[in-house]
Amino acid sequence: MRRSVQKKKKASDTFPCTIEELKKQLSSMLQDSPDLNFSTYTLGQKRIIVFYFTYQINKEQLHRSILDTLLASQDKTWDAKMIQNEVPLASSTLHDTLISVAKELIQGGVGIYVEEDEQPLTYYIPEQARRAVSRAENESLVLGPQIAFTESMVTNLNIIRWRLDTPELKTEKLIIGKEIPTEIRIVYLKNISNDDLVNTVRQRLEDLDVNDVMDSNVVAQLIEDRSTSIFPQLLTTELPDRFCNSIINGKVGIMVDKSPTVLITPATLFSFLESTEDIYFRWNIGTFLRIMRLVAMFLSILLTPAYVAALSFHVEVIPSSLLVSLGQSRANVPFPPVFEALLLELLIELLREAGARLPTKVGQTMGIVGGIVLGQAAVKAGFTSNILIIVVALSALASFTAPSYMMGGAIRVIRFPMIILSGLWGLLGIFLGLSFLIIHLLKVSSLGTPYLSPLYPFHFADLDNSIVRLPWSRSNRRPTVNETKKPVKFSQKEAKKKRDIDE
Amino acid sequence: MKIQLQVPVGLQIKAFYLFFLIHTVQVGSGIMGVSTHVYSQAKQDAWISIIVAGIWMSISVFCMSRILQQYESADLPGIQVDIFGRIIGKFLGTVAALYFFGFMITLLLNYIEVVQVFLFPTIPTWLVCFFLLSLVVYAVLGGIRVIVGVSFLFFVGTVWLLAVLYKPITLMEWNHFLPIMGTSYTDIIKGAYKSTYSLIGFEALLFVYPYVQNKQKAHLAAQQAVWGTTILTLAVVVITIGYFSGPQLERLIWPTLSMFKIIQFSFAERFDIIAVGLWMMVILPNMVTAMWLCTHTFKRIYGLRQKQVLYMLAALLFLGTILFQDRLQINYFTDMVATLGFYIAFVYPLVLLPIVLLKNYIRRKRGTSQ
Repeated sequence: MRRSVQKKKKASDTFPCTIEELKKQLSSMLQDSPDLNFSTYTLGQKRIIVFYFTYQINKEQLHRSILDTLLASQDKTWDAKMIQNEVPLASSTLHDTLISVAKELIQGGVGIYVEEDEQPLTYYIPEQARRAVSRAENESLVLGPQIAFTESMVTNLNIIRWRLDTPELKTEKLIIGKEIPTEIRIVYLKNISNDDLVNTVRQRLEDLDVNDVMDSNVVAQLIEDRSTSIFPQLLTTELPDRFCNSIINGKVGIMVDKSPTVLITPATLFSFLESTEDIYFRWNIGTFLRIMRLVAMFLSILLTPAYVAALSFHVEVIPSSLLVSLGQSRANVPFPPVFEALLLELLIELLREAGARLPTKVGQTMGIVGGIVLGQAAVKAGFTSNILIIVVALSALASFTAPSYMMGGAIRVIRFPMIILSGLWGLLGIFLGLSFLIIHLLKVSSLGTPYLSPLYPFHFADLDNSIVRLPWSRSNRRPTVNETKKPVKFSQKEAKKKRDIDE
Repeated sequence: MKIQLQVPVGLQIKAFYLFFLIHTVQVGSGIMGVSTHVYSQAKQDAWISIIVAGIWMSISVFCMSRILQQYESADLPGIQVDIFGRIIGKFLGTVAALYFFGFMITLLLNYIEVVQVFLFPTIPTWLVCFFLLSLVVYAVLGGIRVIVGVSFLFFVGTVWLLAVLYKPITLMEWNHFLPIMGTSYTDIIKGAYKSTYSLIGFEALLFVYPYVQNKQKAHLAAQQAVWGTTILTLAVVVITIGYFSGPQLERLIWPTLSMFKIIQFSFAERFDIIAVGLWMMVILPNMVTAMWLCTHTFKRIYGLRQKQVLYMLAALLFLGTILFQDRLQINYFTDMVATLGFYIAFVYPLVLLPIVLLKNYIRRKRGTSQ
């Protein structure tokens, strides 16, 4: 840090200087980068140097706009002001120090310096490596838009502006990171979002004292309320339609440059279980899907522990007809149920992790080999019982129904302590774990908003669009948890107006 | 010590939640065995005893809310200091706090015994005690908002147990109720007195009142809560009397839980095992609220840090619980706490109201004469 300050001071009295001096100082400042290109031209009586990083700038713009203009008339005597006037590019900056020139070069600028002039000049014509906008891979949908965010903030902002084309859309710019600055945008609708919420988000982001942020997921972990919790407290998504829908409903979005996922806040437990597809489906199907996911979450957490508890301690709970087949299938298994269950759960987790790490083509084969062959072999070898395979597969499937990969991960991890608890103390252990979970969820909040809302604090109207979905004509309110400036979307009266027969 | 307790808006709760808070602190340990206790006195007219107790409870809640309405935003410890002076007021407040402590011990002991009888005969008392207390401490650390949340969510999560009772209802023998009014009035009153252990807890109103946001609705919510409890207890008593024969009922310790034995599903025989496990979620709001009331009262009276009191009380509860060994001791202690609870919840408000009114009358008179 100190070194750069010294450099800055020295650099500030660099100008005016000769071209050779500039070259030398700039090169040493940029670690003698071999990609730093200097080209010197003699125009009129003066020498002009143009310098840039070869891969950071748009070559076509350099040639057509800058060099063509400069070299068009050989006998003009240029200075910085004159170049600014003649070159047909808008983004020019005059610099006093060499360090600011260097920073601009790194981000994709072209520097121009007329020998013995007061100030060097830069044009910002960056060319960044970016991939094209593509289909969503991680949060796949059957219905609705398939477009996904990319790593480039400019592209993402472009998509957002396209979807939310209203002047009320505000994208506040913040720069986070001391060593490697990263641009962050707070996105919200000025006429809808609650000001306190926006202020909280801004405050949290501004208070961050970090060297660099790698990804939006890191930002989410840095600004969340309860960092000891296993539950994600900010919603991450790669889907622009989901992002925009949240913003329209009064939530606040956070976009991080270099990250293909964006953050939505405040998030509640139920927002992790909803998918935009519920909205594209008809309301009754949407309601069914949402409740199914909620049930799936409970099943995923409770099913295997229930199996372990029932088999280890409470055999009398199992109906006699089921007990026969259970006994048969477990007759060859030498392990206690808890060990058997942990083994199989671990197997499934390994399969998932291996499938996620391996290249796509191998990954699919992995799943088949692991799932079918290993499962069959484990039963044949007397490692586990058939019924447990069903139970574990069911709870694994159930955990994958969570539309948020983060939440799915949390649910899968919670299962392990639950299985151990049920293996140690049966039903008592299960209810101990469950009670702990509920109390914990009551304590968690997402930027001040209770995590279990609308269940607690109970908002009857908010059950719509969180646990169930109402028909559009009845769903006329924005969620009250967001405390929006416009809580009502449209008048219920008009929508409910009933017509008589044949009118 | 200040008489009024000003609560910041963020910590206030709606009167709507008062229903759940009071109802869940009442329903728990007592309801497991209420029928046997009441039946031992009032026989087949036990259900009349419950109604009598319900009416009495309603009157008591009315007195409580009249007392509280005399002040703007005060709780019982504050009011006692105002009425009886610093020393006696603080002493009475301490008695109330100790009563909550004893109440918690009975809750723990009774539930642990149920676990030992139904689930694990050999599980050590200290272990279950440790489980419950760690949950209680974890919840109470979250403050009033979490406690109200616990009572609300656990109520919603366990109220469906009622629906399961359809099976015993179909097996009820209505002759068990005849002859109606066959027992003497004194026995019915005695039966009502016996039912109080399963009804105490509504005195929580006197302590949480400053935390209620819309205080004009607090009385209504409290009445709803106590009537909800009365109806629930009544239902349980009616069903158990109809389901079990008289001599059988007298021999049972927890007829409510025994009733679950008849319930069967295609995926679960012996539903009582699941019910006893789930009963942890019925007991927890009880304990959590009682713990909060206890620590909060100590904080109010002596200005201690609630966290420290919480840890200390949890340790004392743990030690206190493992001291009790057999059923007789537990019964004796439960009876003691029930008696104390009876005087605090059912008698004391009726006595306190005239005193408060008189004192306020005198005060107003002095104010106008000056």
